[in-house]
Order: sequence, then C-alpha cells, then structure tokens
Amino acid sequence: MKILLSTFFILWSTIALSQTIIEGIVFDHKGTTIPGVNIYLRGTFEGTSSEIDGSFNLVTDIEGEVIVVFQALGFKTFESPQTLKAGNIVIRPVLKETINEMTAVTISAGALEASDEKKSIVLKPVDIVTVPSAMGDVVGAFQTLPGTAAVGNDGRLFVRGGDASETAIFIDGMKVGNAFGTTAANVPTRTRFNPNLFKGSFFSTGGYSAEYGHALSSALSLNTVDMPARNQGDISILSVGAGYNQTLVGKKNSLTASANYFDLSPYQSLVRQNFDWERAPYGWDAEVSGRQKWGNSGMLKAYFHTSANGMKLWQKTSQSQGRGSLLGIDNNYHFGQLSFKQLAGESWSLYGGMSFSSNTDNFSIAGLNVRNQNQVLHGKMVAVKDFSDKFSLKTGVEHFVFSYSENLITEDLERSFVDHQPTVFAEADYYFSNKLILRSGLRTGYSALGEESWLDPRFSLAYKFQNQGQLSLAAGRYSQSAVEQLRIFNTELQNTVADHLILNYLLSTNGRTIRAEAFYKDYKNLLTFEGMPYQYENVAQQGAGFARGMDVFYRDQKSFKNTDFWLTYSYVDSKRVFAQFNTMVQPWFAPRHNGSVVVKHWIQALKSQLGLSWVINDGYTFTDPNFPGEMNAKTRSFQDLSIGWSYLPKPNLIIHLACNNVYGRENVFGYQFSPQANEAGRFESQPVGLQAPRFFLLGVFLTLSKDKNANNLNNL
Amino acid sequence: MKKYILTLITTCLFSFIVQADNEAYQKAMEKELQAMKVAKSSEDLQKVANGFSRIAQMMPEEWLPEYYAGLALANAGFRSEGGLEEKDAYFGTAKKHADRAAKISPDNSEVVALQGFITMGELAADPQTRGQHLSGQAMQTFGKAVDLNRQNPRAIILLAQMELGMAQFFGQGPEKACGLVQSSLELFRKEADETKVESFEPRWGKEMAEQMKDNCQN
Repeated sequence: MKILLSTFFILWSTIALSQTIIEGIVFDHKGTTIPGVNIYLRGTFEGTSSEIDGSFNLVTDIEGEVIVVFQALGFKTFESPQTLKAGNIVIRPVLKETINEMTAVTISAGALEASDEKKSIVLKPVDIVTVPSAMGDVVGAFQTLPGTAAVGNDGRLFVRGGDASETAIFIDGMKVGNAFGTTAANVPTRTRFNPNLFKGSFFSTGGYSAEYGHALSSALSLNTVDMPARNQGDISILSVGAGYNQTLVGKKNSLTASANYFDLSPYQSLVRQNFDWERAPYGWDAEVSGRQKWGNSGMLKAYFHTSANGMKLWQKTSQSQGRGSLLGIDNNYHFGQLSFKQLAGESWSLYGGMSFSSNTDNFSIAGLNVRNQNQVLHGKMVAVKDFSDKFSLKTGVEHFVFSYSENLITEDLERSFVDHQPTVFAEADYYFSNKLILRSGLRTGYSALGEESWLDPRFSLAYKFQNQGQLSLAAGRYSQSAVEQLRIFNTELQNTVADHLILNYLLSTNGRTIRAEAFYKDYKNLLTFEGMPYQYENVAQQGAGFARGMDVFYRDQKSFKNTDFWLTYSYVDSKRVFAQFNTMVQPWFAPRHNGSVVVKHWIQALKSQLGLSWVINDGYTFTDPNFPGEMNAKTRSFQDLSIGWSYLPKPNLIIHLACNNVYGRENVFGYQFSPQANEAGRFESQPVGLQAPRFFLLGVFLTLSKDKNANNLNNL
Repeated sequence: MKKYILTLITTCLFSFIVQADNEAYQKAMEKELQAMKVAKSSEDLQKVANGFSRIAQMMPEEWLPEYYAGLALANAGFRSEGGLEEKDAYFGTAKKHADRAAKISPDNSEVVALQGFITMGELAADPQTRGQHLSGQAMQTFGKAVDLNRQNPRAIILLAQMELGMAQFFGQGPEKACGLVQSSLELFRKEADETKVESFEPRWGKEMAEQMKDNCQN
C-alpha cells in the first residue's frame, strides 16, 4: 500500500519537474513568416501564438506522445506528432494556403453583380432602386450600366447589339416568361416585379455560366429576400397609383403579401400627351411570397404573382384619316414558383425548383381580335459537390416546356405549338490558388419540336493581381430557340446561336470601382422573314452578324463627401443580316456610342438625397426610302436627363419626387414614311417620338412597424 | 481493506483529475482575461483570441471561452489599422466564435449583444456602402439582446450608440439615446457591486457608457 502511494507521488513529481521547450518559426508556402498562428498541444490547455516574425516558443511540463497543432486563418491546419521529453524541440512548419471564399479571385467577365453579401460586386441592391431614370423599375436602373443600350421607346433590356428577346430573366434561378408588361409600339414598358422583393441580382452581359440557357446575349438573375427583417406594413401612394405590402415574420418562416394598382388617366388629364389615348394605361398586381426554413440550412420559398394591364390607343399613319385606327391591349399574367436549397452533409448542396408563367394578350385592332397565349414551364435540380476547397462540381438537370398559341377570334382560327426541351449541364470550378480560377462547363439540350440537339461549351479564367485588381477571360457558345412569333410559322426552325469572347478588368478598392471590358460576339442562324406581323412569309435562318466593342465603368463613393456617382461609356459596333433585311445593317436597337452618368448626393441639412442620371447615345438607325440601301440613316442623338429627390422627414417616411427628360428634349426613335412617294417623288415622313416630353412621379412611402426606424429601403 | 483503499485512491485520483481540469480552466481563463485587459494592438488581441479558442476546444460545453474569443477578435477588428480585407477577416472569425457560443448557450443576451457588436464593426469598417444594409440589422440585434435581458448594460449601451447615430442622421434630439446611457450606467454600477468571486461573466462596456455620458452632457 505504502509502495503504491509513494510510486504515485514520485511519478507526479517527475511529471512536474521535466520541461520541454518547443520552438521554431511558421512559414507559408512562399517562405513568408506567419504571425498570430495558434499553436497548441492537442487535448491539453498548453499553447501559444506565433509572434510578428512568425517565431514561437512553447514551454510545457507534459511528457510523452503529443500532437502539436498549428492553426491560422487562411491556412490548412498543420499537425506535427512529437515525443516530448525534457529538452528542446525545433519545428519549422510550412502551412498550406486554403481557398478563402471571401477574398479569393472571382470570375467577373460579363458580370455586374449587386449584393450585400459578396465582395467583388459593382452595386448594392439599394443603389438600383435609387437611380432617378429608373422610376423604381429594376430594369430601368440596369440601363445605366455598361453594355446596355437605352432604347427609350421600348423599356426592355438591350445588351451589346442584341435585341430584347436575347436577355433571359430568372428569379431564384428559375426562368420567368414575359417578365415585362405587354405594351404598344413606342410606349415603354416596365418589369412586372416589385423591386423590394429582391435582395440582390446578377446581371451578365455575356460569357455567363453553363447554368443559364435560352439567352443569346444576356442573363439577369434576381434573388429574392431570404428572411425579411421584421413585421411591417408598407403603404405607397404614387401620383399614378397606390399599393400596400404586409410582411409577417416568424421564427422559421415568413409571409409577404402585396397589392398594387396604377392608372395613368388622372395623370394624363393633367399633363399633355403627344399620343391620342382612348384609355390610358392601367393595371394591378397581387403577390404572395412565403419562406420556410428547415433544419440548419434548408430553405423553401414560394412566390405567386398575378397581374393584369391594359390600354387603348389611336394610331395614325400618314395616309389614315381622322384619329387613325384604334389599338386595344388587354393583358393577363400569372407567375408562380417554388424553389428550395439545402446543404446535404459537409460537401454537398442541392437546390432547384419549378416555375410556371402564363401570359395572355388580347389585341384588338381595326375590328380584328387576336389572342396570344405564351406559357413557360421550367423545372430544375442542381447538385454541387465540393471535392476540396479547390475543386467543386456543379451538375444540373432541367426541363422546359414552351407553349405558344395565336388565336384569330373573329375568324375562329388558331395556330399553336408546344416544345419540350430537356437540358443537362455540368460545370467545374478549379482554384489553382487564391489568385487563379478556371471554370469550365458544358450545356446540352434537345428540342422535341425542332428535333435538334445542341452542345454549348463555356469556359472562363480569372486572375487576381497583388493590387486587388483582377483580369477575367470568358468564352462560350449560347443558344436560344427562335422567338415564338416566328417559330409558329415554321416549327422546324433551329436554335439561333451566338459565340462570346470577353476580356474584363475589375479593380474595386476603398469605395472606388473601375471596370473595363472588351467583347466580341458572333451570331449565326439569325431569323429572316418577309411580310408583316401575323402574316410572316419565308421565315428562315439566313441571317448572321457580329457585335464587337468595349465599355468602361467608373464608380466613386469616396472622392466627394456624401456623394456616390458612376460614369459609363459603351462602344458597340454591330451589324447583322436579320429580320426583313437583305444586307448587313446596324440594328436600330444598337446605337454605337452610349454613355451614362448617375450622381447621388445626400444633403444632411435637408434630410434628402438628390439624384441625377443622364443617359445619351448617338442615335438610332432607320431606313430612309428616299435614298438607296437599308438602315441608311440615323436619328439625332438620344438624351435623357432625369432628376430625383428623396426626402426622409422621419425615419419611416420617404417622399420621392422624380422627373425624366427634365429639359424636354424631343427625342426621336425613327421615322414613319408614307408608302407612296408624293408628287415631287419624295416619301414623306413623320418622326416617332415620346408619348410626352416629360414624366413626373410623386411617391409617398410610409412604413408601419414596431421598429420606428424601419422604412421601405430597409427591405433591400 | 486493500480493495477499499484502492477504490478510495482511484476515486481520489479521478476527482483530482476532474478538479485539475477545472483548475486548469480557471487558471487559463484568468490568464487570458488578464492578457485581454492589457492587450493593445490587434495582434495582441489575436493572441488572446487564440488562447480562448484553445480553452474552447478543451471545454466544449462552456460558452464563455467562445464568447471571449469572439469579443477579442471583434476588438481586434475595431483596432485594426489594416485595410477592409483585414478587418473583415477579424470580424468574420469573430462571428464564427459568437455563433458557436450561441449554439452552446441559446437566447443568451450577452452572446446576442456580441453578435450585434460584430455587425457594428463590419458597418464601421465601411459605413458608406454598408450603412443602409447593416445599421438596421445591428439595431435589431441589440434590440433582441435587450429583450432577452433588460438588465444587460452592454446590450443597452450598444443600442444607445446605434440610436444616437440614427438620431444624428435624421437630425433628431439625442434624448432617447441619452436615456439609455443613463440606465446602462446604473446597471453597470449594480453589476460592479455584486461582483462574484471567480465568475468570468462579461463585465466590459462601462468606459463606453461613460464616454457617451460626456457627449450627452455637452
């Protein structure tokens, strides 16, 4: 017994007496020393940190087999097994770099990302809705960004010589059919969706990922808010309508419902219009969105939108008598989607969903009633596997159903088509280091109607310099089915195809961003036809073309106090044989020189933000029949100066006043020529202009919640 | 008899080891808290955070080591003279520790206040671009911390700071913020009176309140 006790005490004292000193210097793979490394003996309280010069010194009483652990942010944990006995041990570990998602290089070719979470972004979501010329429209703000052309009498997105149908819009990764309201020629349209729904967006002007298809030129992906901040009610009263939005937030779920109504009649009775309106544009929408979290990482979102809009307009041509012919438009739209995302274990993540959009247009013109119906169904399932911090693989399966019908109601005639397109894509990201990434992908699909399959390879490469600047290169093939209005005449039409090549430089530091991009785009299989809408003939794919150019973007939030501004210049040289043209022409929607300036200035004393945006281009091409050739003339330059004033008298109240085309410039988008020459042998013309020189908007936005500081902008 | 003594010894030995562990925990916490008091640079604070995260690995059921690792890194972020990337790295790691503390001790007012404090740090690192987005989030987190424990002076003084910033922005009076400063100071006093021996509960924040009180009197 005594022996046992004494052995124990002897043992104990030896443990206390023997000391080991572990010392050394910690390096990274380049031979630079690393300070602040956490160094400890696993399973004990013993440890230390490396000094500024990377050196360390750990004195311990522990003896025997131990594992010395080296841990530092941005590096892989290094373990060194050692046998400790009194004396010195020298370790000189070399820590391997890990890929840091926050600071590593990102692919920025073609991309203009707006987010609060990510780093290499150009804009925040709130920046988008406060662009004065946008008048609260998501897409309106994108028209001040590089690569886009302002086509003031259309309102949709025209990217780098591409027409509006070449831009695809997605919400939470799901395709949205007919994202813009139906409108008449020369009456600009808007997106249907409320900007407050979205927390961020990814706008690509080319070279985008294999995840996005059915877009020749551009993809705009909008991401909805994950969890709203609080219960709140938002009332908006506008000079052209009103709306209410209610948000309810639970612990794991939330619900938002909103309804809006607009009618331009009262406004148009006050402000003189150039167009002859029988019924001013009006419309309403209602939306419900719900989100449910499950587990640690799962999220399910549902979103339903329904809206209707209409207008009646007298259209006059040079030979028509009286008020001309009456065009009536009546539009009904429904959109619904379900999407989910879920982390599965350490290295897998899954996301996907279903979306359905249905658009019905009823047109009446000169006693003729036409109904068009367009439906898009999209299902998608994507799995991402991270094999290591350097390598990840994304694979996805998608299915699209496109259906379109045209109905001549008076004659009881109908024509329609339905196309099924199963699609598969895969994309691999490989980080050579924190500075260099390669992404390569493949997208393949099959059209049941066109009996055609295709294979679109895409790749991009990005390198980050020491000074935080990064250079990206992207190339790929993009295909898109023929537009419905033409496909219905020839269901054997194949995909239109564009090849992209993009070189991008992005430097974003300390409140300043410079972005420069050069691009080349080659179009094949463009659609050609003869005849008039609803009566097209010889619809074929004899067309081809190109677009090349460069754009520059500079944004500065630092140089002037309380001021944020950006400048954009885009040069586009585009020619194509397409539509009814027989020769290579510059399309009317692709002005050569495009510029924009956006300035926002906060004035503390007035509690106001003043905004200004100026958009200019060198004019739109048109064909003047008095001279030989096609697209042989160009309009005067388009210019629009818009100003906005947002006044926040109380934290929960915003009063917003905006006006576009402040100095009332008579912008011309083209000319309408009489079909016959006059006695002097000349074709007479009249300019196609704006419906009114200016548009004013007054809005009052009031937020009701327990948090008195909450306002409409907090949603973003 | 022999068997009995053996059992006694093993029991003694076992409790000795447990107590040794507990003693080591106490000692390590004391050492790091002391180091945190004298830490000046963000490098010093990084070392302190390393120390707390070592303790956290040994004591996975205790929220305090994770809490202090997060706090030390948040302070490192505030004191950092480096660029945005460096500050964000400090705040990013701080957030991970705070989130782990929240997992161990859910609905803990101190932890929630720390989470808000970290958000405030991210905001302060780049107010021009993050103000709109993060000020509401910070405010809301502090509000939640106060709701969880109305006697937590840190939650109240941090909320007061945000309130003051908000009031200045909208040109309103500082009355509300200054009222909060007053009540936090009372709670700080109460807290100092009831200091428990060998408790590692958070006790920081009084200087911040006193500084703000001076501003209120001006």
